[in-house]
Amino acid sequence: MAKIIGGIGTSHVPTIGVAYDKGKQDDPAWAPLFAGYKPVADWLAEKKPDALVFFYNDHATTFFFDLYPTFALGIGERFEIADEGAGKRPLPAVRGNVDLSIHIAESLVNDEFDITTFQDRAIDHGCASPLPLLWPHAPDWPGAIVPIAINVLQFPIPTAKRCYKLGQGLRRAIESYPEDLKVVVVGTGGLSHQVHGERSGFNNEDWDMEFLDLFVNNPDELTKLRHADYIRRGGAESVEQIMWLAMRGALEGKIRELHRSYYLATTTAMTVTLYEPV
Amino acid sequence: MNPQLAGLDDLQGTYVFDLRVSHRAMKLNRFLWNMIGAPARDTFKADPVKAMTEAGLSAEEQELVRKEDWIGLIRYGASFFVLEKFARVAGRTNLEVYAMMRGETFDDFMKTRRVPECR
Ligand SMILES: [Fe+2]
Repeated sequence: MAKIIGGIGTSHVPTIGVAYDKGKQDDPAWAPLFAGYKPVADWLAEKKPDALVFFYNDHATTFFFDLYPTFALGIGERFEIADEGAGKRPLPAVRGNVDLSIHIAESLVNDEFDITTFQDRAIDHGCASPLPLLWPHAPDWPGAIVPIAINVLQFPIPTAKRCYKLGQGLRRAIESYPEDLKVVVVGTGGLSHQVHGERSGFNNEDWDMEFLDLFVNNPDELTKLRHADYIRRGGAESVEQIMWLAMRGALEGKIRELHRSYYLATTTAMTVTLYEPV
Repeated sequence: MNPQLAGLDDLQGTYVFDLRVSHRAMKLNRFLWNMIGAPARDTFKADPVKAMTEAGLSAEEQELVRKEDWIGLIRYGASFFVLEKFARVAGRTNLEVYAMMRGETFDDFMKTRRVPECR
Protein backbone atom coordinates (compact mmCIF):
# COMPACT_ATOMS: atom_id res chain seq x y z
CA MET A 1 0.00 0.00 0.00
CA ALA A 2 1.12 3.54 -0.66
CA LYS A 3 1.98 5.71 2.29
CA ILE A 4 2.31 9.41 3.10
CA ILE A 5 5.76 9.91 4.59
CA GLY A 6 5.75 13.67 5.03
CA GLY A 7 4.47 17.09 4.14
CA ILE A 8 6.03 20.25 2.76
CA GLY A 9 4.68 23.77 2.97
CA THR A 10 6.13 26.19 0.46
CA SER A 11 5.59 29.56 -1.14
CA HIS A 12 5.17 29.58 -4.90
CA VAL A 13 6.16 33.15 -5.68
CA PRO A 14 6.92 33.39 -9.42
CA THR A 15 10.15 35.29 -8.73
CA ILE A 16 11.54 32.14 -7.07
CA GLY A 17 11.40 30.53 -10.50
CA VAL A 18 12.88 33.60 -12.19
CA ALA A 19 15.75 33.76 -9.68
CA TYR A 20 16.39 30.04 -10.17
CA ASP A 21 16.42 30.31 -13.96
CA LYS A 22 18.81 33.26 -13.78
CA GLY A 23 21.15 31.31 -11.49
CA LYS A 24 20.92 33.72 -8.53
CA GLN A 25 21.77 31.03 -5.94
CA ASP A 26 24.87 32.93 -4.78
CA ASP A 27 23.45 36.44 -5.07
CA PRO A 28 23.46 37.70 -1.42
CA ALA A 29 19.89 38.99 -1.76
CA TRP A 30 18.65 35.58 -2.90
CA ALA A 31 21.02 33.19 -1.10
CA PRO A 32 18.90 32.94 2.10
CA LEU A 33 15.95 31.78 0.03
CA PHE A 34 17.90 29.01 -1.66
CA ALA A 35 19.60 28.03 1.62
CA GLY A 36 16.16 27.66 3.17
CA TYR A 37 15.19 24.98 0.67
CA LYS A 38 18.42 22.99 1.00
CA PRO A 39 17.44 20.92 4.08
CA VAL A 40 14.14 20.01 2.46
CA ALA A 41 15.86 19.05 -0.80
CA ASP A 42 18.31 16.93 1.23
CA TRP A 43 15.46 15.22 3.06
CA LEU A 44 13.77 14.42 -0.27
CA ALA A 45 17.06 13.09 -1.68
CA GLU A 46 17.40 10.83 1.35
CA LYS A 47 13.79 9.61 1.57
CA LYS A 48 13.34 9.23 -2.20
CA PRO A 49 9.56 9.58 -2.41
CA ASP A 50 8.01 8.21 -5.59
CA ALA A 51 5.51 11.01 -5.87
CA LEU A 52 4.78 14.51 -4.66
CA VAL A 53 1.12 15.45 -4.49
CA PHE A 54 0.91 19.21 -5.01
CA PHE A 55 -1.98 21.21 -3.63
CA TYR A 56 -1.42 24.41 -5.55
CA ASN A 57 -3.33 27.02 -7.41
CA ASP A 58 -3.43 27.84 -11.03
CA HIS A 59 -3.05 31.58 -11.70
CA ALA A 60 -5.47 31.81 -14.64
CA THR A 61 -2.96 30.04 -16.86
CA THR A 62 -4.14 26.46 -17.27
CA PHE A 63 -7.73 27.58 -16.82
CA PHE A 64 -9.52 30.83 -17.55
CA PHE A 65 -12.46 32.31 -15.64
CA ASP A 66 -14.94 31.12 -18.27
CA LEU A 67 -14.52 27.65 -16.75
CA TYR A 68 -12.66 27.79 -13.49
CA PRO A 69 -12.64 24.54 -11.51
CA THR A 70 -12.84 24.61 -7.72
CA PHE A 71 -10.68 21.49 -7.48
CA ALA A 72 -8.93 19.96 -10.49
CA LEU A 73 -6.59 16.97 -10.58
CA GLY A 74 -4.07 16.54 -13.40
CA ILE A 75 -3.51 13.26 -15.22
CA GLY A 76 -0.60 12.69 -17.58
CA GLU A 77 2.76 11.04 -18.23
CA ARG A 78 4.21 14.57 -18.36
CA PHE A 79 3.12 18.07 -17.48
CA GLU A 80 4.57 20.87 -19.55
CA ILE A 81 5.49 24.05 -17.69
CA ALA A 82 3.39 26.91 -18.99
CA ASP A 83 4.41 30.09 -20.75
CA GLU A 84 2.90 32.81 -18.54
CA GLY A 85 3.69 35.72 -20.77
CA ALA A 86 7.49 35.75 -20.60
CA GLY A 87 8.17 32.65 -22.70
CA LYS A 88 9.02 29.04 -21.83
CA ARG A 89 11.21 28.17 -18.84
CA PRO A 90 14.35 26.04 -19.41
CA LEU A 91 13.02 23.05 -17.46
CA PRO A 92 12.02 19.57 -18.62
CA ALA A 93 8.32 18.74 -18.48
CA VAL A 94 7.45 17.40 -15.04
CA ARG A 95 6.80 13.66 -14.78
CA GLY A 96 3.36 12.37 -13.84
CA ASN A 97 2.02 9.02 -12.67
CA VAL A 98 -1.12 8.23 -14.65
CA ASP A 99 -2.23 5.24 -12.58
CA LEU A 100 -1.80 7.04 -9.29
CA SER A 101 -3.60 10.16 -10.53
CA ILE A 102 -6.52 8.11 -11.83
CA HIS A 103 -6.75 6.12 -8.61
CA ILE A 104 -6.86 9.33 -6.58
CA ALA A 105 -9.60 10.71 -8.84
CA GLU A 106 -11.64 7.51 -8.48
CA SER A 107 -11.15 7.36 -4.75
CA LEU A 108 -12.06 11.02 -4.21
CA VAL A 109 -15.18 10.90 -6.39
CA ASN A 110 -16.38 7.64 -4.86
CA ASP A 111 -15.76 9.28 -1.49
CA GLU A 112 -18.20 12.07 -2.56
CA PHE A 113 -15.45 14.58 -3.34
CA ASP A 114 -16.44 15.37 -6.92
CA ILE A 115 -13.21 16.69 -8.31
CA THR A 116 -12.62 17.91 -11.89
CA THR A 117 -9.83 16.26 -13.87
CA PHE A 118 -7.63 17.73 -16.57
CA GLN A 119 -5.24 16.29 -19.17
CA ASP A 120 -2.83 17.70 -21.75
CA ARG A 121 -2.55 21.08 -20.10
CA ALA A 122 0.56 22.95 -19.04
CA ILE A 123 0.84 23.90 -15.36
CA ASP A 124 2.05 27.25 -14.03
CA HIS A 125 4.28 28.65 -11.31
CA GLY A 126 1.85 27.62 -8.57
CA CYS A 127 3.48 24.22 -8.86
CA ALA A 128 6.57 24.90 -10.95
CA SER A 129 8.23 27.78 -9.09
CA PRO A 130 9.30 25.86 -5.95
CA LEU A 131 9.73 22.46 -7.65
CA PRO A 132 13.36 22.82 -8.90
CA LEU A 133 14.39 23.97 -5.41
CA LEU A 134 13.01 20.74 -3.99
CA TRP A 135 13.91 18.22 -6.67
CA PRO A 136 16.78 18.15 -9.18
CA HIS A 137 15.67 18.11 -12.81
CA ALA A 138 18.89 17.03 -14.59
CA PRO A 139 18.90 14.69 -16.41
CA ASP A 140 15.28 14.22 -15.36
CA TRP A 141 13.00 14.71 -12.38
CA PRO A 142 13.47 11.87 -9.83
CA GLY A 143 9.76 11.17 -9.39
CA ALA A 144 6.25 12.02 -10.40
CA ILE A 145 3.91 14.75 -9.32
CA VAL A 146 0.16 14.66 -8.88
CA PRO A 147 -1.05 18.24 -9.34
CA ILE A 148 -4.28 19.19 -7.57
CA ALA A 149 -5.29 22.75 -8.38
CA ILE A 150 -7.51 24.67 -5.97
CA ASN A 151 -9.40 27.82 -6.97
CA VAL A 152 -8.20 30.66 -4.74
CA LEU A 153 -8.63 33.37 -7.41
CA GLN A 154 -12.29 33.77 -8.26
CA PHE A 155 -14.67 33.86 -5.29
CA PRO A 156 -16.49 31.80 -4.16
CA ILE A 157 -13.43 29.72 -3.36
CA PRO A 158 -13.56 26.63 -1.13
CA THR A 159 -13.57 27.17 2.61
CA ALA A 160 -10.50 26.43 4.70
CA LYS A 161 -12.39 23.50 6.20
CA ARG A 162 -13.22 22.08 2.76
CA CYS A 163 -9.55 22.14 1.83
CA TYR A 164 -8.72 20.25 5.02
CA LYS A 165 -11.35 17.65 4.14
CA LEU A 166 -9.87 17.30 0.65
CA GLY A 167 -6.59 16.41 2.32
CA GLN A 168 -8.33 13.79 4.45
CA GLY A 169 -9.82 12.35 1.28
CA LEU A 170 -6.42 12.33 -0.38
CA ARG A 171 -5.03 10.31 2.49
CA ARG A 172 -7.74 7.67 2.09
CA ALA A 173 -6.93 7.61 -1.63
CA ILE A 174 -3.20 7.18 -1.09
CA GLU A 175 -3.60 4.53 1.59
CA SER A 176 -5.87 2.48 -0.67
CA TYR A 177 -3.39 2.49 -3.59
CA PRO A 178 -2.08 -1.07 -3.99
CA GLU A 179 1.53 -0.24 -4.93
CA ASP A 180 4.07 0.42 -2.15
CA LEU A 181 4.73 4.03 -3.07
CA LYS A 182 6.18 6.68 -0.81
CA VAL A 183 4.24 9.92 -1.17
CA VAL A 184 4.93 13.42 0.10
CA VAL A 185 2.14 15.98 0.15
CA VAL A 186 2.99 19.59 -0.67
CA GLY A 187 0.83 22.58 0.22
CA THR A 188 1.82 25.73 -1.60
CA GLY A 189 1.16 29.44 -1.26
CA GLY A 190 1.67 32.36 1.10
CA LEU A 191 2.64 33.43 3.48
CA SER A 192 1.46 37.02 4.02
CA HIS A 193 1.27 39.10 0.86
CA GLN A 194 -1.01 41.24 -1.23
CA VAL A 195 -0.37 41.87 -4.89
CA HIS A 196 -3.29 44.00 -6.01
CA GLY A 197 -4.68 47.41 -5.19
CA GLU A 198 -3.18 50.17 -3.08
CA ARG A 199 -2.68 47.64 -0.26
CA SER A 200 -0.09 45.81 -2.38
CA GLY A 201 3.02 45.03 -0.38
CA PHE A 202 1.16 44.30 2.86
CA ASN A 203 2.83 41.79 5.19
CA ASN A 204 2.17 40.60 8.72
CA GLU A 205 5.07 38.69 10.23
CA ASP A 206 3.34 38.15 13.60
CA TRP A 207 0.40 36.49 11.91
CA ASP A 208 2.72 34.39 9.74
CA MET A 209 4.41 33.00 12.86
CA GLU A 210 1.06 32.39 14.52
CA PHE A 211 -0.15 30.60 11.40
CA LEU A 212 2.91 28.34 11.32
CA ASP A 213 2.50 27.44 15.00
CA LEU A 214 -1.23 26.81 14.77
CA PHE A 215 -0.60 24.77 11.66
CA VAL A 216 1.32 22.19 13.69
CA ASN A 217 -0.44 22.42 17.05
CA ASN A 218 -4.02 23.45 16.40
CA PRO A 219 -4.97 23.33 12.70
CA ASP A 220 -8.63 23.08 13.68
CA GLU A 221 -8.52 26.77 14.55
CA LEU A 222 -7.19 27.62 11.08
CA THR A 223 -9.99 25.66 9.42
CA LYS A 224 -12.53 27.80 11.26
CA LEU A 225 -11.23 31.09 9.88
CA ARG A 226 -13.19 32.74 7.08
CA HIS A 227 -11.60 34.04 3.90
CA ALA A 228 -12.11 37.58 5.20
CA ASP A 229 -9.97 36.72 8.24
CA TYR A 230 -7.08 35.55 6.05
CA ILE A 231 -7.42 38.60 3.78
CA ARG A 232 -7.38 41.03 6.69
CA ARG A 233 -4.58 39.35 8.64
CA GLY A 234 -2.22 38.32 5.87
CA GLY A 235 -3.16 40.35 2.79
CA ALA A 236 -5.67 39.50 0.08
CA GLU A 237 -3.67 36.87 -1.78
CA SER A 238 -2.54 35.15 1.42
CA VAL A 239 -5.97 33.52 1.43
CA GLU A 240 -4.24 30.87 -0.69
CA GLN A 241 -2.78 29.52 2.56
CA ILE A 242 -5.95 27.45 2.80
CA MET A 243 -4.07 25.11 0.42
CA TRP A 244 -1.63 24.34 3.22
CA LEU A 245 -4.64 23.06 5.14
CA ALA A 246 -5.28 20.48 2.43
CA MET A 247 -1.78 19.17 3.09
CA ARG A 248 -2.47 19.26 6.86
CA GLY A 249 -5.64 17.22 6.35
CA ALA A 250 -3.58 14.58 4.57
CA LEU A 251 -1.25 14.47 7.59
CA GLU A 252 -4.06 14.49 10.14
CA GLY A 253 -2.97 13.93 13.71
CA LYS A 254 0.29 14.80 15.37
CA ILE A 255 3.09 16.07 13.16
CA ARG A 256 6.64 17.18 13.83
CA GLU A 257 8.13 20.25 12.17
CA LEU A 258 11.61 19.27 10.94
CA HIS A 259 12.41 22.50 9.17
CA ARG A 260 11.19 26.07 8.87
CA SER A 261 12.68 28.81 6.79
CA TYR A 262 11.09 32.25 6.46
CA TYR A 263 12.47 34.97 4.24
CA LEU A 264 10.56 38.20 3.82
CA ALA A 265 12.62 40.13 1.28
CA THR A 266 10.27 42.29 -0.77
CA THR A 267 6.57 41.55 -0.93
CA THR A 268 5.84 37.92 -0.07
CA ALA A 269 6.99 36.14 3.06
CA MET A 270 8.75 33.27 1.28
CA THR A 271 8.50 30.19 3.45
CA VAL A 272 9.38 26.54 3.32
CA THR A 273 8.59 23.99 6.02
CA LEU A 274 8.93 20.24 6.38
CA TYR A 275 6.76 17.92 8.46
CA GLU A 276 6.71 14.27 9.36
CA PRO A 277 3.81 12.40 10.91
CA VAL A 278 4.57 11.40 14.51
CA MET B 1 -23.09 38.77 -0.11
CA ASN B 2 -20.71 35.87 0.35
CA PRO B 3 -20.52 35.32 4.15
CA GLN B 4 -16.91 34.18 3.81
CA LEU B 5 -16.09 37.72 2.70
CA ALA B 6 -18.37 39.77 4.94
CA GLY B 7 -16.82 42.52 7.01
CA LEU B 8 -14.15 43.75 4.63
CA ASP B 9 -15.85 47.03 3.69
CA ASP B 10 -13.42 49.13 5.71
CA LEU B 11 -10.35 47.46 4.25
CA GLN B 12 -8.76 50.05 1.98
CA GLY B 13 -7.03 49.30 -1.30
CA THR B 14 -8.45 45.79 -1.68
CA TYR B 15 -10.75 44.73 -4.53
CA VAL B 16 -12.24 41.28 -4.14
CA PHE B 17 -12.42 39.40 -7.44
CA ASP B 18 -15.66 37.43 -7.32
CA LEU B 19 -18.06 36.10 -9.93
CA ARG B 20 -19.85 39.45 -10.12
CA VAL B 21 -16.68 41.30 -11.02
CA SER B 22 -15.50 38.47 -13.25
CA HIS B 23 -18.76 38.45 -15.17
CA ARG B 24 -18.71 42.22 -15.65
CA ALA B 25 -15.09 42.38 -16.82
CA MET B 26 -15.00 39.09 -18.75
CA LYS B 27 -13.84 40.53 -22.07
CA LEU B 28 -11.10 42.59 -20.52
CA ASN B 29 -9.83 39.67 -18.46
CA ARG B 30 -9.91 37.33 -21.45
CA PHE B 31 -7.93 39.83 -23.49
CA LEU B 32 -5.30 40.08 -20.72
CA TRP B 33 -5.25 36.31 -20.27
CA ASN B 34 -4.60 35.77 -23.98
CA MET B 35 -1.16 37.36 -23.49
CA ILE B 36 0.13 33.94 -22.37
CA GLY B 37 0.15 33.03 -26.07
CA ALA B 38 2.95 34.26 -28.30
CA PRO B 39 0.62 34.90 -31.30
CA ALA B 40 -1.65 37.15 -29.19
CA ARG B 41 1.39 39.06 -27.93
CA ASP B 42 2.61 39.60 -31.48
CA THR B 43 -0.82 40.70 -32.69
CA PHE B 44 -1.10 43.19 -29.85
CA LYS B 45 2.37 44.61 -30.36
CA ALA B 46 1.79 45.00 -34.11
CA ASP B 47 -1.48 46.92 -33.73
CA PRO B 48 -2.79 47.41 -30.17
CA VAL B 49 -6.02 49.16 -31.18
CA LYS B 50 -6.94 46.50 -33.70
CA ALA B 51 -6.16 43.72 -31.21
CA MET B 52 -8.25 45.35 -28.49
CA THR B 53 -11.14 46.16 -30.84
CA GLU B 54 -11.24 42.60 -32.11
CA ALA B 55 -11.27 41.40 -28.51
CA GLY B 56 -14.43 43.46 -28.02
CA LEU B 57 -12.99 45.92 -25.51
CA SER B 58 -14.99 49.10 -24.89
CA ALA B 59 -13.42 52.52 -25.39
CA GLU B 60 -12.99 52.81 -21.61
CA GLU B 61 -11.26 49.45 -21.38
CA GLN B 62 -8.98 50.23 -24.30
CA GLU B 63 -7.97 53.49 -22.68
CA LEU B 64 -7.06 51.77 -19.40
CA VAL B 65 -4.93 49.24 -21.27
CA ARG B 66 -3.33 51.84 -23.54
CA LYS B 67 -2.33 54.00 -20.55
CA GLU B 68 -1.12 50.92 -18.64
CA ASP B 69 -3.24 52.26 -15.78
CA TRP B 70 -2.63 49.35 -13.42
CA ILE B 71 -4.71 50.58 -10.49
CA GLY B 72 -7.43 51.73 -12.88
CA LEU B 73 -7.55 48.27 -14.42
CA ILE B 74 -7.80 46.64 -10.99
CA ARG B 75 -10.59 49.02 -9.92
CA TYR B 76 -12.36 48.31 -13.18
CA GLY B 77 -12.35 44.57 -12.50
CA ALA B 78 -9.15 43.07 -13.89
CA SER B 79 -7.81 40.08 -11.98
CA PHE B 80 -4.21 40.73 -10.99
CA PHE B 81 -3.29 37.26 -12.26
CA VAL B 82 -4.15 38.09 -15.85
CA LEU B 83 -2.92 41.65 -15.43
CA GLU B 84 0.55 40.32 -14.63
CA LYS B 85 0.56 38.49 -17.97
CA PHE B 86 -0.03 41.79 -19.71
CA ALA B 87 2.68 43.38 -17.53
CA ARG B 88 5.21 40.99 -19.11
CA VAL B 89 4.16 42.26 -22.54
CA ALA B 90 4.42 45.86 -21.32
CA GLY B 91 7.93 45.08 -20.04
CA ARG B 92 7.04 45.71 -16.40
CA THR B 93 8.04 43.53 -13.46
CA ASN B 94 5.50 42.75 -10.76
CA LEU B 95 7.45 44.91 -8.30
CA GLU B 96 7.07 47.87 -10.66
CA VAL B 97 3.36 47.21 -10.99
CA TYR B 98 2.96 47.05 -7.18
CA ALA B 99 4.67 50.43 -6.86
CA MET B 100 2.42 51.98 -9.50
CA MET B 101 -0.72 50.54 -7.92
CA ARG B 102 0.37 52.13 -4.63
CA GLY B 103 0.97 55.44 -6.40
CA GLU B 104 4.67 55.44 -5.53
CA THR B 105 7.83 55.65 -7.57
CA PHE B 106 9.66 52.36 -7.88
CA ASP B 107 12.59 53.60 -5.78
CA ASP B 108 10.32 54.88 -3.01
CA PHE B 109 8.45 51.59 -2.96
CA MET B 110 11.63 49.54 -2.80
CA LYS B 111 12.83 51.65 0.16
CA THR B 112 9.89 50.25 2.12
CA ARG B 113 11.11 46.68 1.51
CA ARG B 114 13.49 44.72 3.75
CA VAL B 115 15.85 43.53 1.03
CA PRO B 116 15.48 46.04 -1.82
CA GLU B 117 18.21 44.25 -3.79
CA CYS B 118 16.06 41.14 -4.01
CA ARG B 119 14.63 41.66 -7.47
FE1 LIG C 1 -0.67 31.88 -5.79
